[in-house]
Amino acid sequence: MELAVLSLSFVLFLALGVPVAFAIGLSCLATFAVEGLPLATAMQMMVSGMNVFSFLAIPFFIFSGELMLHGGIADKILDFARSMVGHMKGGLGLANVMASTLFGGVSGSPIADTSAMGGVMIPIMKREGYSADYAVNVTTHASLTGALMPTSHNMIIYAFAAQAAAGTIDGHVIRGVSIGDLMFAGLVPVFWIMVCMLIAAYWQAVRNGFPKRADGSSMLERFPGWKAVLTTFIAAIPGLMVIVVILGCVMGGVTTATEAAAIAVAYSLFLTAVIYRTMSKDKLIKSLKKASKTTGVILLLIGVSNMLRWQMAYLEIPDAIEAALLHATQTPWLMLLYINIIQIFLGIFLDMAAHILITTPLFLPLAMQMGVGPVQFGMMLLLNCALGLVHPPVGTVQFVGCAIGDISIGEATKTAWPYYLAIWIAINLVTYVPAFSTWLPSIITGHPVF
Amino acid sequence: MDLFNSINARLSEWALRAASVCLAALGIVVIYGVVMRYAFNDAPPYVEQVALLLVISVAMFGAAAGVHDAGHIGLDSVVKLLPAKGQFWCLFVVELLTIAFAAIVLWGCEHMATSTRHDTIPTLGISEAWRYVPPMIAGVLIILFSVKHMLALFTKKAAA
Amino acid sequence: RNFRSADVHSKDFPTNMAVKFMGDELSKETGGKDNIKVFGDSALGSEKDTVEQVKIGAIDMVRVSLASFNGIVPESMIPSFPFIFRDLAHFRKAIYGAEGDKILAAFDKAGFVGLAMYESGSRSMYAKKPIKTVADMKGLKIRVQPSDLAVAMVTAMGASPAPMPMAEVYSGLKTGLVDAAENNIPSYEEAKHYESAGVFSETMHVMTPEVVVFSKKVWDTLTPAEQVALRKSAKASVAYYVTLWDAKEKEAKAAVLKGGAKIVPASEIDKASFVTAEKPVWDKFATTPELKALVQEVVNVK
Ligand code: NA
Ligand code: NA
Repeated sequence: MELAVLSLSFVLFLALGVPVAFAIGLSCLATFAVEGLPLATAMQMMVSGMNVFSFLAIPFFIFSGELMLHGGIADKILDFARSMVGHMKGGLGLANVMASTLFGGVSGSPIADTSAMGGVMIPIMKREGYSADYAVNVTTHASLTGALMPTSHNMIIYAFAAQAAAGTIDGHVIRGVSIGDLMFAGLVPVFWIMVCMLIAAYWQAVRNGFPKRADGSSMLERFPGWKAVLTTFIAAIPGLMVIVVILGCVMGGVTTATEAAAIAVAYSLFLTAVIYRTMSKDKLIKSLKKASKTTGVILLLIGVSNMLRWQMAYLEIPDAIEAALLHATQTPWLMLLYINIIQIFLGIFLDMAAHILITTPLFLPLAMQMGVGPVQFGMMLLLNCALGLVHPPVGTVQFVGCAIGDISIGEATKTAWPYYLAIWIAINLVTYVPAFSTWLPSIITGHPVF
Repeated sequence: MDLFNSINARLSEWALRAASVCLAALGIVVIYGVVMRYAFNDAPPYVEQVALLLVISVAMFGAAAGVHDAGHIGLDSVVKLLPAKGQFWCLFVVELLTIAFAAIVLWGCEHMATSTRHDTIPTLGISEAWRYVPPMIAGVLIILFSVKHMLALFTKKAAA
Repeated sequence: RNFRSADVHSKDFPTNMAVKFMGDELSKETGGKDNIKVFGDSALGSEKDTVEQVKIGAIDMVRVSLASFNGIVPESMIPSFPFIFRDLAHFRKAIYGAEGDKILAAFDKAGFVGLAMYESGSRSMYAKKPIKTVADMKGLKIRVQPSDLAVAMVTAMGASPAPMPMAEVYSGLKTGLVDAAENNIPSYEEAKHYESAGVFSETMHVMTPEVVVFSKKVWDTLTPAEQVALRKSAKASVAYYVTLWDAKEKEAKAAVLKGGAKIVPASEIDKASFVTAEKPVWDKFATTPELKALVQEVVNVK
């Protein structure tokens, strides 16, 4: 009964067009009312869900991403990528993939990445004879890597959701998950996603003969020479250094992972205001306002997700799902396949923050029983959630990309499959090859990572 | 009507400015904490709690401004399939539901603030109830902004 | 009824086992009418969240550290005073006896029913080097829980307190963000802090107990027989808990030694130097005559 109220009201509210955060909140409140639980407790869980110390990193990473965007760091990264691969077949597509991946590391956010890279690249690509759907899909899918970068606020959300993780893997007792381990775990998968995406973008470009202008002419960019590549690379380094600064602060014992996000803001401000001198007072205020609003949207989603998490625990739903899945299979690879399929399905409805908070307590204990540790599971989950950002109906990154490219969601979806496939391959590599995500952090931190 | 709209626009702008000031203060207080601990071996114990109060302010004021500018993520593909009249009522119900949610936020947070007013926040010594003040303000703002959207719906309908 | 009880520890942790045991006892006492369902792993929220839920009556019971009540029930601070207990025997006699009952009774006016307290070992300092006298603490950056009492305690030792969430302590110790931290042996083991802070000095400065608390709102709807049964089964769970906890401490101690940690035994610690430093902290937090009297009572337990 309670479960029916919870799920049906959510679907109804969503279909009516109620924003996702309010839809989750209202369906929870309806369930609270049906059970006769005090509504004040729902509010308490909402506020306490937002009031988590490690979540301070969320406004900081969002703010530093905005500073990098308005301060022109995105352009420098783009210049480098273009000078390197812009002259090849489908060159602007390849440059877009590279630049989106690199700026994903700077912003840590697929949406910020899409608006930054898409804003510059999609119009240029359209002008130079690439179809709009190609330009949009390349940008949106490559931007997803931001979710796995050390600057990713979604990683912070996952680390919080996974803090109750407990179990034994390979004889090692596991309690919770370290943000430091996670920060390194994403780098290898990101590299491979970039490779897969480059292949997909190249293949699509060759197949369609891009670039191909309306008048039939086709002009490839001229290779500017290795000297130009080096010059543009050097110009892009300070922006990319933000990753090194963050990891350095944490590894060097200067700050905690949360505080490192504040250092990222200070660094971005210093870089854009003092070094590049591209930051003006107006741009700073604009960045502050934009970051505040985005923080509000994301933290409200986190708050209501915490409300929902409480409601589900109270109704003992996680136990029921665990029992049902264990009844369905005990074979690890099959269980992981089921989990991935359910995740993709949930990605249809849920936005990333809500998706992470709601599904971690459902599936992490199961994954750990199957020998998958919290770091590896985190990468699986983040990738699955990220993929949900580019497929309809609730695909926020796809919304942004399509709005910039001025095409419908349907047009973009039709030709998205090669990139979708590229990321799906990466998800499976992460799922079935633990070393893919755990090797680098264990080498760097010197302790075993699972 | 125009006055109501301009008051709302101003309130939203103020909410966003308040959120921006809190965000800037948040950055300053956290970095101050790092510097004091790392360079002077003297970590101010209140940083964590001040930061938590600031972040809830950024989030709630930002979220309220998000309602004013219709910035919250939702799904409109189903509603778009409906005829104009159906669309109007769907949008109307959405605003109504948003008002209901904000009203419960206001009521529930008031309740929590009353329940926790005698508890103190560690290292700050002020009442726990302060944590619930920003969401209460946001609740009021969201109600106002949704009423504005609702009135705009009727104006648009009358014009059509 | 099936009372819902929240806990932040995993399902097989002694606190959860003890509350489950309490449920079994309760079921026996009430002829199967009442029982307790334990929600572990912070499923219903943090300690602070769940305390508030118990107050409002959303859930029925909670097991938390007594420190969670420091801002709510002033009496709850007393067992967390540094060095208020001479040793474990003193702690057990006071907390499982009349003084403990007085502290539990103080929960009533804050809207709670205090049912039982469980020991949680003693917290000791650990760092890369041994800490034998209060002089060894000078200038060290110590991670403390974000609480006024913990901050004051570490400051009184001449060290510099760095409050930070537990989740960040492991990497904090490893990278040198903090020089030392303090906790009981099972947490030292479970959080793997021994990997980077390999010397555990048994300063045994604080013995904060756990507490099992019932919602006053729900309590008032129960029959007197149910209330008696709840109190009785709560008391019965203490002995069961102590057995589990003892085993847990022994296991943890063996595990950290195996993991390469060194333990400086309590006999090598200049405890007197610490006690002198910490006395002013008691006066700072026992602000009313009633609190001062209760402190004296606890101290006087022989
Ligand atoms: Na970010
Ligand atoms: Na989606």
